[in-house]
Amino acid sequence: MSAAREDCGSHHCITCGDDGVPMTVMRVDLDRGLALCAGEDGAKASVETALVEPVAPGDTLLVHAGTALARLGPVA
Amino acid sequence: MRFVDEFRDPELGRAVAGEILSLVEPGRHYKLMEVCGGHTHSIYKYGIDDLLPANVELVHGPGCPVCVIPMGRVDDGIAIAHEDGVIFTCFGDMMRVPGSNGSLLDAKAAGADIRMVYSPLDALRIAKQNPDREVVFFAIGFETTAPSTALTLKRARAEHLENFSVMCSHVTIVPPVRALLESPDLRLDGFIGPGHVSTVVGARPFEFIPADYGRPVVISGFEPLDILQSIAMILRQLAAGRCEVENQYKRVVPYEGNLRALEVMAEVFELRPHFEWRGLGFISHSGLKLSEAYADLDAEARFSVPGVRVADPKACQCGEVLKGVIKPWECKVFGTACTPERPIGTCMVSSEGACAAYYNFGRFAREREVV
Repeated sequence: MSAAREDCGSHHCITCGDDGVPMTVMRVDLDRGLALCAGEDGAKASVETALVEPVAPGDTLLVHAGTALARLGPVA
Repeated sequence: MRFVDEFRDPELGRAVAGEILSLVEPGRHYKLMEVCGGHTHSIYKYGIDDLLPANVELVHGPGCPVCVIPMGRVDDGIAIAHEDGVIFTCFGDMMRVPGSNGSLLDAKAAGADIRMVYSPLDALRIAKQNPDREVVFFAIGFETTAPSTALTLKRARAEHLENFSVMCSHVTIVPPVRALLESPDLRLDGFIGPGHVSTVVGARPFEFIPADYGRPVVISGFEPLDILQSIAMILRQLAAGRCEVENQYKRVVPYEGNLRALEVMAEVFELRPHFEWRGLGFISHSGLKLSEAYADLDAEARFSVPGVRVADPKACQCGEVLKGVIKPWECKVFGTACTPERPIGTCMVSSEGACAAYYNFGRFAREREVV
């Protein structure tokens, strides 16, 4: 179990909680519309990218329930 | 951590807290509602209310996805989970929500095949791995989570997966907010708008709040500085006699939302005529069901469910907490019969719930000064 997923344990369920998590795109699978993304803690997950395409390695996405909802730009 | 550390700077936090103090009109009591459970969690976790003068009161709204699920829906889920050959999947906190005869976790202990997933895609994967079983995903959550379910259903359709279905309990945020504004026992001065729901729906759906009810709304991020700045922005509007929708969370929320997400939701879902909310009762056009084009993937049509309305336990005052009428600690069973380990009400289940958030972080609140 990854570190991010441990957050979903007894104390705080990030999926139930409408939380979005920033994740960085590592690899893109264009055919399946998925990207392998990593959280800041190194936890990896397959993420649905249909709502924010096109994505490229290095992009930072806001991910909730396995789906990227928004692209995060540099902090002003 | 990028996108996080910048918004937890204690010096900046103190500066914004000072600005809030300067914006407060002496003797006036301000009631601001944070609609989203994520904000409730952050407020208690970071002690944000301790940085506010006592006459700025934060009222915790109905935006906790788990807390608003009524007992009858849990019973329906358990009934499906007990069907022969079913693998029932749901998010973590949902497992612990009490139904009239135990929770999904209890049903799992009794032998039902109930599995926790982190996304609907995980449920789809289980369906592919188990072609001889029926896999049902219990879909809960606001507009933040609904696009994920919608995309998964589209995937299931495209891949001709016939052993996958969804028990749709998605809800929408605007109807309960309107219901609260119509509630005679609650007077609010402004709203901290939900950040991640707005990532999908944008800020426009909240324009009715200033237009029809004369209350300011500030869409807010979830870090301590986000919330403090949003409170300052609301107070600034009130001090200037303005009321409008402002977007503090511009780094994530476009004013128009995510149009692709709205399109896919419109394709896969349609509004239910009415949906029951825990503590708030039935609210018109506040819940989503699968559209006609996806009706064959509707678990409620595929399996028989009791569909019975179950009254909340008498001792539980989740309804009043969800409406912001009472504070968590004012509930008769808070912290005694009802704890996160043994919740009676849904607000104690999820850490987004006002009761659990207060129980976990806020029990040692300090005296605050009235300005």
